[in-house]
Amino acid sequence: MKIKVRQICFIMIAYTAVTKLLIYPTALAELCGRDLLFPALINFLIEGLLIWAVSFLCSRTDKTFFELIEGTLGNIGARIVYGFMAAFFMLSAIIPLFEQKQYVHTIFYDTVPTILVFLPVFIFTVYAASKKFENIGRCADICLPVFLAVTAFLFLMAFGEAQWDNLMPILQTPATSVLRGASSTAFRFMQPCWMLMFMGHFKYRNGDAAKITLSYAAGAAIVLLFLAMFYGIYGEISASRTFAVSRISIFFPAIETIGRIDLIMLYVLEVVMLFALAINIQFAVHALMRCTGYGNRKVLSLAVNGALLLVVVFCAHYFHAIQIVFYRWLWIVTVVFAVLVPALSWLLKRRNADEK
Amino acid sequence: MKNKFNASKVSVVLYWLFVLAMLALFFTNDFGLVDLHKTAIITAVGIDVQDDEVQVTCEIAVPQPSQSGDNIKYTQIQGSGLTIADALNEVNSKTGFYPQLQFCKLILVGESIKERELFRVLGCFYRKNYSELTALVAMCQGKASDMLSLQSPVSDMTSEAIRKALSEEIEKSANATSVNLKDIAMSEYSRSYACYMPYVEANIPGTSESGGNGDNVGGEGGNSGSDGQQGQQNSGQQSGGQGPSEGGGSSEGGSAQSGAAQQNGSGQQMEFTARKTAIFSNGKFKGILDEQNSFALAVIEDEIRLAVLPCNADGIHYTLGIKNIFCGVGLKVENGTPVLTVGFEGKAQIQGARVVVDPSETSKDDFVKDSILQAANEEMKKRFDGLLSQLAESNCDVLGIREDLYKFNTKYYDAFKDDILSRMEIKYEINIQSVN
Repeated sequence: MKIKVRQICFIMIAYTAVTKLLIYPTALAELCGRDLLFPALINFLIEGLLIWAVSFLCSRTDKTFFELIEGTLGNIGARIVYGFMAAFFMLSAIIPLFEQKQYVHTIFYDTVPTILVFLPVFIFTVYAASKKFENIGRCADICLPVFLAVTAFLFLMAFGEAQWDNLMPILQTPATSVLRGASSTAFRFMQPCWMLMFMGHFKYRNGDAAKITLSYAAGAAIVLLFLAMFYGIYGEISASRTFAVSRISIFFPAIETIGRIDLIMLYVLEVVMLFALAINIQFAVHALMRCTGYGNRKVLSLAVNGALLLVVVFCAHYFHAIQIVFYRWLWIVTVVFAVLVPALSWLLKRRNADEK
Repeated sequence: MKNKFNASKVSVVLYWLFVLAMLALFFTNDFGLVDLHKTAIITAVGIDVQDDEVQVTCEIAVPQPSQSGDNIKYTQIQGSGLTIADALNEVNSKTGFYPQLQFCKLILVGESIKERELFRVLGCFYRKNYSELTALVAMCQGKASDMLSLQSPVSDMTSEAIRKALSEEIEKSANATSVNLKDIAMSEYSRSYACYMPYVEANIPGTSESGGNGDNVGGEGGNSGSDGQQGQQNSGQQSGGQGPSEGGGSSEGGSAQSGAAQQNGSGQQMEFTARKTAIFSNGKFKGILDEQNSFALAVIEDEIRLAVLPCNADGIHYTLGIKNIFCGVGLKVENGTPVLTVGFEGKAQIQGARVVVDPSETSKDDFVKDSILQAANEEMKKRFDGLLSQLAESNCDVLGIREDLYKFNTKYYDAFKDDILSRMEIKYEINIQSVN
């Protein structure tokens, strides 16, 4: 087996949370104001249910998702599905890449640096995506403790500044706005697809589905607490504060005296963010490998990262437009790949004819 | 013989070294090296409005190469334009520094803001990444540029001297109502549509007016001594400081002034106090709260550790120190009428009395007589009353009553939002007890 359940749980906690701490809170505050927790809750509940469903499916079969599709639709069908999955993972990596670029340029630099400053990230992602599957699990082993320590530190710094009654009164936002908030940000919720990729790569034992789902719930709880704290700190002006994680701790009294010590935490958190960013690229390469049958990961990694690099370079000044496209239309793609495909995976044949 | 050179292992090591080196450079910002000695850091900003233009005076710390002693020089650079960004761009052209205002700790707004929309002028600071919203904001007597160019005995850095008058410690004694950019925006963009900021005054040292009732620091209210002085300074400064704009473009009033020489015609050093409070509603200036009303506001809004309250009892003037203060306002709707309850609890001890001291009696200062406590209760009620009356008259909800109504009595919000300040009943629950 290539990955351990513990590592999957770590991924569900750390990567679920860390990918939603930059622009996601700002977008929700803009769309739903004081009720920003509710669209997040809707997405987390739907996704949590699907993660449980896929995890539980793993108790019924030892096959990988590719093998399940192959057993039902044939090899060509499985390759086609994996081709689409690869495209979906690449698509899912675009917004995080742009977010990271903007975040690094804005928070870590006094002036506006050239795009070349960000490009070394691709050296890391090329390397990470060219490694084998178990590499994802090892990275998670490192990332979770780091993530928890840094998050605890940042949350403690921010806690005293939050005015929790800023979230009152609840549910005054029209239901349509809450649903729009949920659908617009749905493209960030692709974790059930990660579980599909993990299928058959870990040994399922009793209770693992609950462990994985609870780990996901822990990640979701961290995000919900963060959203509440962020809105508690900034209230009605939350929508103007991008890169939320870098904004919550700056009112900590000691910062006035000893300077931006929170930046050290943010640098460390950035490392976890990069691993979380790389996981979609790693899965894209994996899916592409199964789709094409070509076994050289390094070449595929170069191809996938090359394509993403071109998008980042040529669309460097169109982030806003890209965001609008994702907010308005990408929820449909997410519903297909991160909701329908995991849900329909239960309909796939779990046994071959000769196994009956 | 075994070939010891393993190309694949070496390439992996080289690859890792390269990745680590690049990541180290990437995360330590060494790609964006800034030589501190060739740049300048904005530590405070003064904003005045003249005609349709914003005049921005930046107090700038210029690091100087030095082996020992002071190695930072403070100077003022001015720029102007239709927006603060325009003015800062002019400052940039003079300093060569990209003005992100990350180190700006104070934003001082001149009295000319009274005629303008506050958040139209300050809007620039809320735009993406211009500032972290931690900078203190205050309104000042006269022009902000003049205030920033005064000298202070407290610090070489004028903004630091002003910030001391707005410090957290002063805030905890209810002697100032400090706010930062975030506070005023959150308050203004809440359902209350109002905000407040401390009003900074400059006083000539040793000019405290006689007849103060214990609230005064450096002259109550009028600052009569400082007005004339400041007038002198203004004229002195203008004649010395105005020059052709270096930034080009549309700015006309740009001038570069270097610190001490032009700060003050007579070289007189000034003290700063911020015991009054400027209030705004819908971005418009609504008035100044005097020291007593500001005290009441500070007690409600801030966490106070020790407040000094003067009162008269039995024909004697007492100065009480109030500790363990719990104060707040709560809004309820009772029988269709909004009722505001002002609660105040504290423990009093005598700090001073206008009588000849009897050493054998001073040990009983923690036992405060009922008549004195009663007088203290009445004094607090008078101050709360004064504050609420002024807020009602100016329809300026800096206490966030409308916001509370929306949060906790949402169904009444539409009915009461327009006139709640004048319509609400006020109940006082003031309970000052003796420390022992």
